[in-house]
Amino acid sequence: MLSFIGRSIIQKIITLFFVSIVSFLIIHLAPGKPSQVDPLNPKFTPEMVERFRKEFHLDKPLHVQYLLFYRDLFTGKTASWKDNQPVLRKIWERFLNSLPLFIVGTILTWTLSFPVGIRSAIFRGGFYDRSATFFSYLLISIPGFFFAYILIIFVVNSFHVPVIGMETFGIGDPSWFRWFMDRVWHLLLPSVLGATGGIAVLSRYVRSQMLEVESQDYVRTAMAKGLPPEQVHYKHALRNALLPFVTMFGLILPGLIGGSVIIESIFSWPGMGRMAYEAILARDYPIILTVNFVSAVLVLAGTFISDVLYMVVDPRIRL
Amino acid sequence: MTIRKVLIFTPIAVILFLLQSYFWVPTYEQQSRGNPDRLNEYITASIGDASILNPILSADSASSQINSLVFEGLIDRDEELRFRGRLATSWEVFEEAFFYINESASIPGAGTARAEEVVDFLRKAKKNNKVSDPRLKACLDNIREIGLIPPREFLVIKREKDLKNSKKEIEVKVHGRPPARVKLTLTAVDQDLFKNLTQLLGETYFTSFGGERYVSTDPPVSKEKLAAYAREFVPATEHNPILIFHLRDNVLFHDGHVFDASDVKFTFEAIMNPRNLSPRVADYEPVKAVEVIDPLTVKITYKRLYSPAIGTWGMGILPEHLLNQEALKREALRLGKDPEKFSMRQSGFNRHPIGSGPFVFQEWKSDQYIVLDHFNRYWEGPPNYKSYIYRIIPDPLTQEMEFYAGTIDNYGVQPHQVQRLKNDPTYQSFSGPSFGYTYIGYNMRREPFNDYRVRTALGMAIDVNKIIQYVLYGQAEQITGPFVKQTDYYNHGIKPLPYDPERALELLAEAGWTPNKEGWLEKDGKPFQFTLITNSGNDLRKAILTIAQDSWKQIGIDVRTDLLEWAVFIQERVDKADFDALILGWSMGIEPDLYQIWHSSQTNPYQLNFVSFKNKEADELIIKIRQEYDHDMQVEYCHRLHEIIAREQPYTFLYVSKWTAILDKRIVIKEIDDKGKVIYKKIEPTKTGNYTFYFNKWIKLPEVPTFALEG
Repeated sequence: MLSFIGRSIIQKIITLFFVSIVSFLIIHLAPGKPSQVDPLNPKFTPEMVERFRKEFHLDKPLHVQYLLFYRDLFTGKTASWKDNQPVLRKIWERFLNSLPLFIVGTILTWTLSFPVGIRSAIFRGGFYDRSATFFSYLLISIPGFFFAYILIIFVVNSFHVPVIGMETFGIGDPSWFRWFMDRVWHLLLPSVLGATGGIAVLSRYVRSQMLEVESQDYVRTAMAKGLPPEQVHYKHALRNALLPFVTMFGLILPGLIGGSVIIESIFSWPGMGRMAYEAILARDYPIILTVNFVSAVLVLAGTFISDVLYMVVDPRIRL
Repeated sequence: MTIRKVLIFTPIAVILFLLQSYFWVPTYEQQSRGNPDRLNEYITASIGDASILNPILSADSASSQINSLVFEGLIDRDEELRFRGRLATSWEVFEEAFFYINESASIPGAGTARAEEVVDFLRKAKKNNKVSDPRLKACLDNIREIGLIPPREFLVIKREKDLKNSKKEIEVKVHGRPPARVKLTLTAVDQDLFKNLTQLLGETYFTSFGGERYVSTDPPVSKEKLAAYAREFVPATEHNPILIFHLRDNVLFHDGHVFDASDVKFTFEAIMNPRNLSPRVADYEPVKAVEVIDPLTVKITYKRLYSPAIGTWGMGILPEHLLNQEALKREALRLGKDPEKFSMRQSGFNRHPIGSGPFVFQEWKSDQYIVLDHFNRYWEGPPNYKSYIYRIIPDPLTQEMEFYAGTIDNYGVQPHQVQRLKNDPTYQSFSGPSFGYTYIGYNMRREPFNDYRVRTALGMAIDVNKIIQYVLYGQAEQITGPFVKQTDYYNHGIKPLPYDPERALELLAEAGWTPNKEGWLEKDGKPFQFTLITNSGNDLRKAILTIAQDSWKQIGIDVRTDLLEWAVFIQERVDKADFDALILGWSMGIEPDLYQIWHSSQTNPYQLNFVSFKNKEADELIIKIRQEYDHDMQVEYCHRLHEIIAREQPYTFLYVSKWTAILDKRIVIKEIDDKGKVIYKKIEPTKTGNYTFYFNKWIKLPEVPTFALEG
């Protein structure tokens, strides 16, 4: 076990190193320049562009830029080119904003999908299964933004309460309880919207996994020995169907930092996704690269966690 | 069983918890109508957040919007776009002009003359009333004073690239010993001064001066380099326009500090300081010196004639006491950073600005909102609104929803909504042309676009009115040239190209393009074929691309089209001038300076005259416009330039789009007359379409006011 952890960490550090090189190269090879050195502005003289390039180290060879960037990153000195704010602090603020959305969305997705999918599998081909399939595909195929608009218009027109932003705009200084409840309300639509898409997809996987397991001999045996159906489905079958989901669960971790650009933009939520998206548009390399690096770390941490979870779920697996 | 229950009841509990919060949320009603403070707040929304709240560093529109409320410049523009004093009460523009005595030149009627003799000669000429040429007469009358600067010596050290090793720099000592210099003080700036003086001093008096004779270097440099140094340090003639601002007394910054001339000087120095990386350097590069004459007078001397310079003083003035060297040093030490590397760009000031404008900065939550409060001690009296709130709402539809709900006071209407919202009796609406235009540009380096008949024919084949009507829902106006349509620089006498495919075919036939058997145009067996490109992600341009392709196909031109990602489009095609024709747009300022986009010297790769428009008369006019300080003359030159560009058709000028904004009807202008009586007036846009011009006088009333019909 310990040797597994050790080996895995070394492997992951090597992977991370290559990821850092590749992401750095991709950003620099991509066409487009930081907006500060945009040449299509008559006010920008070549000298000024040169000065900005110097300030941003863009005049140095790529490997030097690489070293300079990661030196700054690890000493916590990277600053956004757009507003000179320290990148790590910016990311941390946005991360805290995105966190509640992520948590609520994840809880809803990773609980509801199972009963929905399992029931579909049990009553395969029945009315429930068909309508679940229909709605899943409906939700998968309707673009998220469209659904969001419909929901916003519906809620605003019928209940006359604000839904966008993290809190009611101009709420002033209410008691902490009201403030808290206001925040909770604003979480409702974006997190439910995020979750519906997730449930639609995940419940499909659950269904197909369960279908496979339900036809196994041990399920028949369990049924035959007279166990209550719930125990058969939710204990005997589910456990064995769970393996692929462990991998998937590990991979939701990077979603923490990715956020959702569309939902965040529509709901004016000051989250990670929006910041990263705007940074890409403005070619704000420090932000893009830092977000990239942090998400690479999270992906690797996610795979590590799922490896460990494998052991917990399936005692046959020895690492 | 338990697992199933957990899986079902947890999400239900979570959702119920989320839902119950509904009972605690204030409704829109409570926020807007139910909240009496709401009448004193003006809330507006923006798609993007501000980035840096410092007028000398910001480059995006959101930051500029906030900066324009927190900071104030020396001047701004009034309803008619004329300059108007803000922090300055008045200003004067005059000129000091210099020329070196050309000892070898022979002056008509006086022979070779020494310095004193030249001065005497000019003084006599000025007194002589019998000057025949009226222009020379006017020019001499304009001279207020004639002085003489004795010869001087100078030594300058320049850093130059080493010719052998391009990475190394070497020091070049430039030594000069120029002759005496005549100084002419003029009442008004006169760009033709030296041209007129040649009538007196001889045609070649200035051109044969030969500054190289008076300059030597150590180590020696090439002839061209020496000539460049001579032009730089010993120019035969020199114009130094001077701008004196008289500042307003008793203007306060928001922290109570009194504004004075040193703040103006400081702002200028901060822009020029290379460490601050100000994007506005280009505007102030022609400034030679900023001097504080007394606390309420600043004198700005320019290196050369550059008329757009006056407008640059609309720039917000920074408080020196908060941002000077010592203040920055203290801040760096407090934050534990290296004071040597700490510049204005890193300062916390950029997120908590303090200026002297009508609004005081209060709070900024990134990507959420910025709050400003009115400044009680603003010199013009505080604005009527108590606060100004700038919300960041990236999605236009949510902006619209918030506007209907009353939590935003204005909404920028999308073109397709104009029909519906413009005449909605619940709102007041404003509209006007924007500052920018869309065009099709032709690469004039390539056949057949080097023929103006072909360019004109291509323009005539496109029905711009149909584009405006169907693609832009009528929310645009046709444009014929490169000036802002609502300024007087724009020549309204020029008719737009008519939509006339017949005439287009005739023009093409004149240029040698005739239809072949299949109906395609051909010249010497070569078909008329080219590619029209634009950037992807802009639906309007994409629509125009298709319409243009179809229109040209109808007269027998085989056009291919291509959509390219913005960065690729600019870097690979526009910058390298590798295109046949393209669709793009320019946004413009009020100043009529067209040098970068239309001057023939700007046609190299990475420069903005990428269509390679070269016209000698246009070049001269562009330079004259830049150097002319008299508005009427400028207008005259602009009209002529507009004519040339419209005739040459380097672009097919398409349209300038129109914006429409709607506003709550309860917002009105509130004024207090001499007797102290409150008068409410309807908001009227200025001639140039700016409806927020009187913003400081706006207020929201509890009920929709009724105004007497105006005759």
